[in-house]
Amino acid sequence: MPNRSADRTARTQRLIVISLIGLALGFLIVIQLRSQAAVARTLAAQDDTSVALLINDLNRANNQLIQQTAALSQQEAQLRQALTAGGADSQAIEKELTMLREISGEVPVRGPGLQIGIQGSIMDFELQDALNSLRNAGAEAFSLNGYRIIGSTPIISRGQNLLIGGRSLSAPFTLLVIGDPEQLQPAADLSASTLQTRVQVNIQRKTDISITDVIASRPLIYAQLGR
Amino acid sequence: MTVLASVSLATFLVTGLAATQFRSQPLPPSNRLAREQALRQSVNQLEDQNRALKARVQTLQASVKSGEDESARRSSAAQQVKTQLDDEKTVAGLTALHGPGVTVLLHDGSDPNDPADRSLGWTVHYQDLQDIVNLLWASGAEAIAVNGQRIVPTTAFHYAGVNILVNNGSRLSAPYTVTAIGDPSSLATGLGNPDQLAELKSRSRIYGLGLSWVRSTRVSLPAYDATFLVKYAQPLS
Repeated sequence: MPNRSADRTARTQRLIVISLIGLALGFLIVIQLRSQAAVARTLAAQDDTSVALLINDLNRANNQLIQQTAALSQQEAQLRQALTAGGADSQAIEKELTMLREISGEVPVRGPGLQIGIQGSIMDFELQDALNSLRNAGAEAFSLNGYRIIGSTPIISRGQNLLIGGRSLSAPFTLLVIGDPEQLQPAADLSASTLQTRVQVNIQRKTDISITDVIASRPLIYAQLGR
Repeated sequence: MTVLASVSLATFLVTGLAATQFRSQPLPPSNRLAREQALRQSVNQLEDQNRALKARVQTLQASVKSGEDESARRSSAAQQVKTQLDDEKTVAGLTALHGPGVTVLLHDGSDPNDPADRSLGWTVHYQDLQDIVNLLWASGAEAIAVNGQRIVPTTAFHYAGVNILVNNGSRLSAPYTVTAIGDPSSLATGLGNPDQLAELKSRSRIYGLGLSWVRSTRVSLPAYDATFLVKYAQPLS
């Protein structure tokens, strides 16, 4: 089947890219990585470059967590203020509810971000890789050809098409991403550089993107509350 | 050609990042050992801070929740919103869950020490974890965790050097355990489908990389250990 061989070619290509990046890293850190890769990934066994990259990421994560504590403190103060005054602030609860609905793709959203045009077919893992690195760059909402994508949306290749949450989509693709364009751009560029081995990709920064499609939350059948 | 371009870009980024980091570190002059020690110490300090911040986030989440509970007792309007909020927290991964499911186990294989094979195919890459998580969602998973880190809508896997990071700087190391709640037989059928994870399965055969799964009548997943921030997206009304 032709799609099977395309799949294999694409997967081989991905492995080649991974391995070349690995090689490049290895070149940076010379022999250290080779002799130490078998050892558990403990700090003591790591080269300086890896440790430096880890420091960079930890700084970023900790800044995010500091912002989270600030937001939570503010929310708590707002709730307490109403309680102290003898009432209840349902708007403070509403605000959190809306935020979670945005995260879970249940409400239409708008904001700045990127519009990414992909002029040919791509494989499921290529879209996964792109979404993953855009999320890592702080992406808050996605749609592909008008359909909302959230973290738990299954992405599966069916021949030249992509099955996104069960819906079959075909090229050309338009991926809309809401988030800080400044942060998203480098992540999009890196994904594009991998994709551009086969298909044309163009990235545009936008000040106002609307994602109107929503996802209905699935009832839990097997999962029960509590550990 | 373009592969090469992407690789040089990646190399450039990696080098650039590393260079920035080295420059910004306060280092003792030209003492390699001291420098390495300083770097590792920074990581330890940052990881301590990371744990403390997560504990602080969880404490604040608990106070917010008690404020919400109290509000719900006082006002029926608040009660109504609170009920919806509780459901939404479960959807987003902010609640611990248990139920039937599968546990997938993954570990690195052995280095072939073959100069002709530089593929690093014998190690588990973050993309492998990402592929397994995606396949589990496609096979009907209701909730997933990797090494005790809950997969939430904002979760991204990535490399920081040789480290695989997920959710706010949590470092994952081998062996990897991916736990999913759902119908155990659908999940196992998905994992067993020869068309899925084909590349990982072939690496498992070639390099002895470990890939196995067991069905279970009860698996337990923790809640997400932090919260969400939405800074750019606004509800469209």
